[in-house]
Amino acid sequence: MSLLAVANKDFQDTVRSRGMALLVALFSLLVAVFAYVVRPQGQADQFATELLLSAFVGPVLVTGLVPLVGVVVGYNAVSGERESGSLKLLLSLPHSRADVVFGKVLGRGAAMALATFAGFLLPALVLLVIPVTFNAGSFLGYTVFAAALGVVFVAISVGCSAAVATRQRALIAGIGVYALFVLLWGLFTGRVIGAFSGPIEALPVSMAQIRTFLDAANPTSGIELLGNAFLGDQLFSGDSVNQQVSAVAMLVFWTLAPPLAGLLKFDRDDL
Amino acid sequence: MTAIELRGVTKEFPGVTAVRDLDLTVEEGEVYGFLGPNGAGKSTTIDMVLDLVRPTEGTVTVLGRDATAESVEIRERTGVLPDGFSVYERLSGRKHVEFAIESKEVDVEPEPVLERVGLLGDADRKAGGYSKGMRQRLALAMALVGEPDLLILDEPSSGLDPAGVKDMREIVAAEADRGTTVFFSSHVLAQVEAVCDRVGILRAGELVAEDSIEGLRDAVGDGETLEVAVDDATDAVVDAVRAVDGVSRVDRDGDTLLVSCDPGVKTRVIAAAEDAGAVVDDFHTEEASLEDLFLAYTEGEETPTRRADAATEEVDR
Repeated sequence: MSLLAVANKDFQDTVRSRGMALLVALFSLLVAVFAYVVRPQGQADQFATELLLSAFVGPVLVTGLVPLVGVVVGYNAVSGERESGSLKLLLSLPHSRADVVFGKVLGRGAAMALATFAGFLLPALVLLVIPVTFNAGSFLGYTVFAAALGVVFVAISVGCSAAVATRQRALIAGIGVYALFVLLWGLFTGRVIGAFSGPIEALPVSMAQIRTFLDAANPTSGIELLGNAFLGDQLFSGDSVNQQVSAVAMLVFWTLAPPLAGLLKFDRDDL
Repeated sequence: MTAIELRGVTKEFPGVTAVRDLDLTVEEGEVYGFLGPNGAGKSTTIDMVLDLVRPTEGTVTVLGRDATAESVEIRERTGVLPDGFSVYERLSGRKHVEFAIESKEVDVEPEPVLERVGLLGDADRKAGGYSKGMRQRLALAMALVGEPDLLILDEPSSGLDPAGVKDMREIVAAEADRGTTVFFSSHVLAQVEAVCDRVGILRAGELVAEDSIEGLRDAVGDGETLEVAVDDATDAVVDAVRAVDGVSRVDRDGDTLLVSCDPGVKTRVIAAAEDAGAVVDDFHTEEASLEDLFLAYTEGEETPTRRADAATEEVDR
């Protein structure tokens, strides 16, 4: 299948980049540092896996760094090939432009997931062999959420990459997306709610419902919600189940809609 | 069936018309040379054939299919060597060919085609370390994967050394023998001359000439020019030569006669000159220079001028 051929090529190309090795090293280093911080003190041999994840790895690595890395992995997917001319080689083969965009989401998403797994799990191996009680299941599960968030941001930035003609513009768009979702979401949505408080009050929904929706709409807070539910053994159960389902739906939306929007533009362009 | 057919194709980019009302037909099985100086619109035309660029007006049909609507199906049967492409720096030559094999969904090994373009020895090196010529060979290998019905080569010789140009020519000839339609562009006439059945010359987005090599040659100067150096080129000698059947024109340049004639009458021309009392010191034939014609078409004002230089005295008034 053509899409898989593009995905496979792109995966191979991406995992061979120097940035990929740097990324794995950076993730490993940070996870190791955090693990050292929460290491068992004195006689205790209980390693605080959940604390490590929800207090350190979660906020710093996953919701802070992983989206940024996703943007960096995805932004030059199409625009870079367009600028360098390798897109001519790619499109000399029987691929549709849709195959190119979604193949790249798949290939780079897989590379991103691989980097996340490698970076998170290498330091965890040490925790497995030293004599502490380490909750490997929680750690592994949490890594899946981290990788999923990375893939979502790869998809968003591949979409940006397909929509614009140059690498530089794709990077600006990607950074903009990162800033919106990671740095400014609260501020931004607060303003929006403030500005539209009149009309919102006329709607048959409460302010709290709007806020909940906006929380789930942001892939970063969506993953945070799901990850914490997972750690609290409340995944798809408990009080927040509705919110969790909408978070999953929004994650799927962010994975598919931006590449699709990018494709609409890319498909009409003269290359 | 025609391999490539353009009907009334115009392509406008902001501020410039790259191709203007172009009609072009490439028959199945022929080797078509697409000539023109840089910037004439050759690459834009090829880009429209490959659906990288969509025409502003007109229709493009390739292998009987619409170039835009059925581009993937067209490219399944087409091998392309693009111009101004770049390779995937981190992937080996072999990976590139494997990618082409996977993309075209054919069941072949990468080695034979790598061998054919002379890259087998470097197949496992990263393509980022390849020279321009090797990259060109690599893209050709990718184009040849799956025995395409149509081969589109955009400036295939750029970056190749003379040995590479020769290899390229042999591969084009072999593909043509297999029945493949070959469409290739060049701004250098000599590359086209040796392999093409037909050539089209594009200038400023318009097709200014389209003919076989022989046809173009006829347009330059009725076959061949015979240069005969005699001891004394008298009017009697000129008249005698002009009277020979098959001679279309005689010019005098000092004591040298420039005779435009059919190939078969050369000996009779010599004999006529000698019968008229001239002593022939030397003679040789010169093929009409296509290069001159090409330059005339691509640089000149309107129609090409005959190759008659200023020193030639016009005898035939």
